[in-house]
Amino acid sequence: MTGPASLPAQPPGPAGPPPVTHAEPAMGTVFSFAVVTGAAPESAVRAAIAGACDVLHRCDALFSTWDEASPVSRFRRGEATVSQMPPEFHEVLEECRAARRASGGWFDPWAMPGGFDPTGLVKGWATERALALLRDAGVPGALINGGGDVAAFGSPAGAQRWRVGIRHPWRADALAGIVETDAAVATSGCYERGAHLIDPRTGQPASRAASATVTGPSLALADALATGVAVGGDEALPAVAGLAGYAAYLIRPDGTETDTGIEFAR
Amino acid sequence: MKRAAWYLIAGTVAGFAGVLGLHGRAAPPVLVAGPKSTGGGASPAATPGAGGGARASGPVQPTGPARQVNGVVEQYGYGELSVTVTVRGSQITNVSVPLLRTAEPYSQQLAVQVLPMLKSEVLRAGSARIYAVTGATYTSQAYADSIQSALDKLHIK
Repeated sequence: MTGPASLPAQPPGPAGPPPVTHAEPAMGTVFSFAVVTGAAPESAVRAAIAGACDVLHRCDALFSTWDEASPVSRFRRGEATVSQMPPEFHEVLEECRAARRASGGWFDPWAMPGGFDPTGLVKGWATERALALLRDAGVPGALINGGGDVAAFGSPAGAQRWRVGIRHPWRADALAGIVETDAAVATSGCYERGAHLIDPRTGQPASRAASATVTGPSLALADALATGVAVGGDEALPAVAGLAGYAAYLIRPDGTETDTGIEFAR
Repeated sequence: MKRAAWYLIAGTVAGFAGVLGLHGRAAPPVLVAGPKSTGGGASPAATPGAGGGARASGPVQPTGPARQVNGVVEQYGYGELSVTVTVRGSQITNVSVPLLRTAEPYSQQLAVQVLPMLKSEVLRAGSARIYAVTGATYTSQAYADSIQSALDKLHIK
């Protein structure tokens, strides 16, 4: 492990002001924003962030499986049919079908106890929807960290891409690696909230990873794939390796590691 | 900026407790080491001025006067720990542990081995121009002690 002394000195360059940041509690976690203002006035950036937060809260209200009155909870109990569900639900349904296919079945919202449960995909999907509002605001770059799942576009001032640390599964203040992204990075594991992952093949709690990280263009899919790799471990990796633009990094329960060609930054 | 340092202190203490949690529970703490035994920045990673800016747009060299933020003494289950963070501008230039009381010599040995690693990693996280930390979904409560929380404070305009 090399310390900061070995990090390359940052080249002097046209470094702009630091990004505008914001932290928003939603979906039982915290969403962190970093928005590069560019030529946009800060008031416009703040307004876009507020709009993005509205999106997150709406997604939370629609898809919370904790809230018994939410549309998804009513659907799970059979009190609402698909045709009675809001348009966002249909979008998520379609994303879930695609993710189940892409993961080789290791991510399967239809195999969860208690009925259809899109939780493993919804947070990433909602984060992307929120990010779209920032893109529409015309800023040159933005990043949202949805409680550990990251969606971004553009780059911070003076850099090519956003640098994202991957938390070490056993040490909250240590990083297992750093990746650079202008799209999506998702990580799944049981070290924060206990054994919540379900093996779709048995319906029982199962985890074959200490930490599973997936990078790629879409955070909705990366989030679902990370869940799938956390459940399936090595067996789930070929599915990710076969997807153009996606890569996985697995830390096994015994601490050993493997990946499908993920690019680590230094 | 002062608040950022405090968040990093919390993160350090939490990580430290996690590492020491690998061995069995201990008797009530007794003083084993004096306040200066683990401080002083002996680790290469703790060299003041090392590393890049805490953010991409930050300066290469630390600017402004160095300020030290002394952490409160934390009870972490196997002893007591206090952390001092030195900040120049928005950059953390050193992390030291001025106080470490552990319950037994084994805890002390372990702490001495582990602290430099933790220090280097806290510094690395604070100065490697990281904008976000990906990981298993944390609760709102766990967020408060996370590196991400510290980054959110550091980058505030």
